Amino acid sequence: MAEQQDDTSEQPLSLRTLCTMRSFLLHPSTSKRTVSSIVETLTRTPTHHTLKLLSDAAAHRPDLGPSAVVLPADSSPHLTVEVLASSLTDLHLDDARFASLCFGDSVAARVWMLRNAGSKFEVRPGLLLAVLLGFTKDPYPYVRAAALEGLAGFCERGGESKDVELVEACYRRAVQLLRDMDPCARLSAVRVVASWGLMLASSNSDMKTYWSNDVFAKLCSMARDMNMKVRVEAFDGLKKLEIVSEDLLLQSLSKRVSGHGKQKQALGQSTSEQFVILATSVAGAIVHGLEDEFFEVRKSVCKSLRTLTRLSAEFAREALDSLMDVLNDGSTVVRLQALETMHHMAISGRLKLHEKNLHMFFGALVDDNWDIRHTDRKILKVVKLNNLALFKSSIDRLLGNLDSYPQDEADVFCTFSHLGRNHKKFVSLIIKDTFEEIEAALEGNVEFNSARIAALLILSISAPLLNADVGRIPAVMFSYAVTFLGRIYNAFSDIMDRDSLLACLCEKSRSTEYSATNIDLVEGEQQFPLLECDAPNFASNEVINSKIDSHITREPKEVANYQIEQQRSEYDEVIKFTNYILAKPHDMWQRIQSGHANEVLRSLRCLKELTTMKFDSLGSGGADALAFTLLYLRVIELLSEVWEHLLPAKRLCTLGIGKLEFKLGKLERRVKELISRFTGFSAQDELNVLELMLLTYALRMCKDEIIGMNHTIKRLSTLYLRVESILKESSALPSNFIVELGKVLSGTSINGASCNLLQFDASLEFFSLKQFLFHGQIKHVKAELNISNNDLEHPLPFVSGLPVGVPCEIILHNISSESRLWLRMALDDGFIHHLFLDLDRFEGSEEVTKFTFVAPFYRTAEAICLTLKICIGLECLFENVSPVQRFGGPKRELALLCKEKQVFLYKVNKD
Amino acid sequence: MAIETLVLGAGQDIGKSCVVVTINGKRIMFDCGIDTRFFDSPTHRYPDFTLISPNRDFNSALSCIIITHFHLDHIGALAYFTEVCGYNGPIYMTYPTKALAPMMLEDNRKVMVDRLGEEELFSADQIAECMKKVIAVNLRQTIQVDEDLQIRAYYAGHVIGAAMFYAKVGDAEMVYTGDYNMTPDRHLGAAQIDRLRLDLLITESTYATTIRDSRYAREREFLKAVHKCVSSGGKVLIPTYALGRAQELCILLEDYWERMKLKVPIYFSAGLTIQANVYHKMLISWTSQKIKDRFSKHNAFDFKNVKKFERSMIDAPGPCVLFATPEKISSGFSLEVFKHWAVSENNLVSLPGYFVGETMGHKLTSNKQAKDDADTKIDIRCQVHQLAFSPHTDSKGIMDLVNFLSPKHVILVHGEKHKMATLKDKIHSELGIQCYDPANNETIYIPSTHYVNAETSDTFVRSCLKPNFTFQKCSSVDICNSTTIDKSLMPELQVEDERVAEGVLVVDKGKKAKVLHQDELLLMLGETKQDS
Ligand SMILES: [Zn+2]
Repeated sequence: MAEQQDDTSEQPLSLRTLCTMRSFLLHPSTSKRTVSSIVETLTRTPTHHTLKLLSDAAAHRPDLGPSAVVLPADSSPHLTVEVLASSLTDLHLDDARFASLCFGDSVAARVWMLRNAGSKFEVRPGLLLAVLLGFTKDPYPYVRAAALEGLAGFCERGGESKDVELVEACYRRAVQLLRDMDPCARLSAVRVVASWGLMLASSNSDMKTYWSNDVFAKLCSMARDMNMKVRVEAFDGLKKLEIVSEDLLLQSLSKRVSGHGKQKQALGQSTSEQFVILATSVAGAIVHGLEDEFFEVRKSVCKSLRTLTRLSAEFAREALDSLMDVLNDGSTVVRLQALETMHHMAISGRLKLHEKNLHMFFGALVDDNWDIRHTDRKILKVVKLNNLALFKSSIDRLLGNLDSYPQDEADVFCTFSHLGRNHKKFVSLIIKDTFEEIEAALEGNVEFNSARIAALLILSISAPLLNADVGRIPAVMFSYAVTFLGRIYNAFSDIMDRDSLLACLCEKSRSTEYSATNIDLVEGEQQFPLLECDAPNFASNEVINSKIDSHITREPKEVANYQIEQQRSEYDEVIKFTNYILAKPHDMWQRIQSGHANEVLRSLRCLKELTTMKFDSLGSGGADALAFTLLYLRVIELLSEVWEHLLPAKRLCTLGIGKLEFKLGKLERRVKELISRFTGFSAQDELNVLELMLLTYALRMCKDEIIGMNHTIKRLSTLYLRVESILKESSALPSNFIVELGKVLSGTSINGASCNLLQFDASLEFFSLKQFLFHGQIKHVKAELNISNNDLEHPLPFVSGLPVGVPCEIILHNISSESRLWLRMALDDGFIHHLFLDLDRFEGSEEVTKFTFVAPFYRTAEAICLTLKICIGLECLFENVSPVQRFGGPKRELALLCKEKQVFLYKVNKD
Repeated sequence: MAIETLVLGAGQDIGKSCVVVTINGKRIMFDCGIDTRFFDSPTHRYPDFTLISPNRDFNSALSCIIITHFHLDHIGALAYFTEVCGYNGPIYMTYPTKALAPMMLEDNRKVMVDRLGEEELFSADQIAECMKKVIAVNLRQTIQVDEDLQIRAYYAGHVIGAAMFYAKVGDAEMVYTGDYNMTPDRHLGAAQIDRLRLDLLITESTYATTIRDSRYAREREFLKAVHKCVSSGGKVLIPTYALGRAQELCILLEDYWERMKLKVPIYFSAGLTIQANVYHKMLISWTSQKIKDRFSKHNAFDFKNVKKFERSMIDAPGPCVLFATPEKISSGFSLEVFKHWAVSENNLVSLPGYFVGETMGHKLTSNKQAKDDADTKIDIRCQVHQLAFSPHTDSKGIMDLVNFLSPKHVILVHGEKHKMATLKDKIHSELGIQCYDPANNETIYIPSTHYVNAETSDTFVRSCLKPNFTFQKCSSVDICNSTTIDKSLMPELQVEDERVAEGVLVVDKGKKAKVLHQDELLLMLGETKQDS
């Protein structure tokens, strides 16, 4: 330290020195005295580097108060402010101090304060806004820009002002500054107009349209600004609008100012007068944006059209023409964005394709770029085509696509599958010709284009596959389709797997008089009729298997069944759906026990498929329930796989012991996940889940494995105690299995020498699967972890041997305040370091907490680069197997709450 | 002080742009063009330079000449003015204009001498002599012409190297646009300029009343027509000017060919056009952002699908696209090819721009029914597609530029008389800016800004550094005018910062003007009172 202090007299500190200082500052074991002497050194020569370091230090060491920062008297005022403010990060800078610094003589200091107020330190909103608004009048352009940035930032942080008058004043001031001489000020003004304009609009529902229109016009008026960034910002701003009068929207597509706004009675006279005032600034703005020189601008416009087309059907129709023309754009990025926007329009029912659009729209199918073709098809998958001619040309152009780009086959097939499902009527209108072509190709001895035939088959069978009514589709079509199974099954992977598809096709090909009445959809029917024998190797068999019973084909019809129910409110629907699914495994248990695991597994896969489909089609509403259901199904699936091989009759002739061990391990992990990653269980639910865990351990005991036995028994006993205590509290009755297991356990010594495996075996006989009933309280515990700006090309720098800070952006869901969370950091060589995440330090609710945490990592080795795997784990019920770590760490096992993130680090040269 | 604008050409007219502006004693000639419609009459062809200096002492009368771009109606008279009239002063133009100007001037000289049999006014060597006087400038580079006169070039689009010029003498500032385009095309960007405090904007107004549709629509129609023609085996003839349009359309086609994987050959007629591509390749930094963005990967003027066309290929079978000069199909190669191809309805002639006079192009566009051409005895059966592409801004673009710059005065040049009058009224009524449309040889006087240099008192400077804003409630004027929105009754919150307004200009007799803070003035007045 002494040495370093010597060479810091007047010269700026070398980067090497700074790095060393940084590691000292960040390392928790550095003494307070050393820290304050470093800080003192740093403040003596304030530069950007030292400031950065100081603010890092402040973030890491809350104990490092402002008292540690002793500023030299002769340092320039704005640096003083920066140093002060940097070291005050996360602390409260008092209002008076803020005001006095703002009104001080230094312009640079003022800019800094305005830019960072509210984000780096807190100021009372009333004062903050008044100061910011005031400084928009400053003669210095950069002060004006900073004040506007401050205002925009206030909105972005979710700030709101109830003082409508003030909001309006800020908005009006920003509107004036749209004509500022300085591009920076104009850019910031655009941001304020967008954010404050919307705040103003939402403050008064009577005036909402008026102000939204005004914001729209003001943003549009910037479409012709000479600065590219200003234009991008203006078009970006349009995205946020929730309402705009139709006549104004339409005006933005025409450079010619139309004489009068359309007299819409509903909108009243005021809209029309407002239109006259605003029309000139709006005129042609979107068109100008779309033909802008800079792709950034064109892309932004295309993106905004996504929102704007939602506001008016008429506008969507007109804008589509312009959007179609963008498909001739020289930039792939822009073409792609235009297509993405059309895709969104199609989803929200705003995409009405017309004859005149077809040349452009289908042109994209022969585009050289895969993404363009793919996105064009993505639209075709969801768009509703208005007439048969359109439908037919879509088919022709898709077939053409298949010709010129055979590599697109899978996706083209998938498009055909959707096209067929969405246009049942059109399919039935062309089925005669299609059938003739397919029949001629497959029955005759002529050479044919198999891709084309496969595509037509997919198109023809896709609708009746989900529909009870086959219509006029000849049954033999389904037989034809079976011969193409390997090629076409992917086109239906969104609704059923290959096996179900085969079963379904077989079913349909047999019944010529197929109708809905043949299928009994009543719940509670006999789910699993006994089969005469299994169909082994079924999954790899493409030949029609007549032994398949019809029950397997029920699943697709259930899909249809559920589609009918979609009118119900989403949440109720999910609960109902979940309970429907959750009831199934209970019914299946008997079949598992009797050794029909194969058949059960197939059904389980279908159920999983159904659940996943539901999961994807829903918003966040029922996500927790579905996540639980999926995991539960997975557990049952593993359980039935393991169970089968542990059945007395089969035990000797099954899987290798390694594979079984693998499955058991998987089962154990999944059950643990079920216990740890969900909260809000009722006592009965918890008992059910714990029983599954007990079962897993009991299964482990049955496996002839001596090595881990003591350990397993120990765990089993611990868990059993917990079950007993729950039973006591809830006065629920123990299941037979629990009772039997208790008997076995009481007779077994922990040291296991005398333990009788057969007793465990016997207890298994008593197990039966309980039915879960979902009440809606169960919450999914999860975390999101993100390290921004880090990838292979942008690694974090580190100095070998010194700690490095990894900035983790973390979002936690449903984590209770008592939970113990750890950040696990692992190197490839097996080194693992755990960091405790103290939840008290971060603000948020139990539902969601969002924060940034800079995680120090100490073991930066000599390697040039390192890959660190970071993950968030929750300490759970189960005790740690491995010995407690030297540097402290979780006492219990961690349930991982997110996917592992890779962080790339590379060594910087010290010199 | 006044800015004096003498319009020597392009006043209420298109052709021979030449405007002489006098600001604070400095005299600048913007553009020095000829009128190509009056090839046979030297008096109409050249601007009347004697109006600048009756005794023809141009060197002392002019501070400099500024040429905006290489089109003949902007540069055509330059060699005549320097070599025949004897102007020796500095001439400014951008690098690409300087590179392309000799070719344009020499072409024009040849036309006058060879075709019109005119007496040679100046030789090819003299053009070279003239070009030696040219100082090339970069965009946004501020040039100090002399102690008082500053000029700066801004990107104008239009053709490669085209620039708008900003000039400043003392406190008076102005911009002369030359020809410009406010929307980018495939190879050139849109005009780009800063917000300036202008006393005067002189702008072209070729399309004073036209509002053009989206460029995309025009491109779509063009591509559709060409694609349709070649995919049914037809030949497409695109008669075009060598520089500019040919490159733009070629980039468009090349891009489409790549995307659609078309294999049909695209030809350039020999000579000039290929040469022009080389120029564009060299001048890549003057093209549009798009082309610059892609430059690292691929020079957009390295046309992959373009081949050189030989005369022997005219009657070769199979579809193709051919670019050929001249654009008017009046003579030369394009006419020769036209005679061969126009007889088949499979073929397509795509005509860029508008035509005047008795040319084939004009006949085709003005009356498509006149299929049988009497003069040339061609049975015209081919399809004709007109390309409404123009490198000039439309009237909306002019309005947008004027609105963005918000100058105190606007002078319109380079347009048609009655349309300019319409635009003049529009600028005045919609933007509230004084606007003029002088005829040739007319002079316009407008007042200019003049700032007085004043000393400032320390108190005032200190006060200026201190923010001093206040909030007030008052009704704003623009809202009061609205009858329907009942806001006029509600006072509005406004913010004022009076610190600069607190300065008071004091001019004592015989002393330099000084700005004092108002408090100081009160104090001073108080003292004077006590004295008396
Ligand atoms: Zn021109």
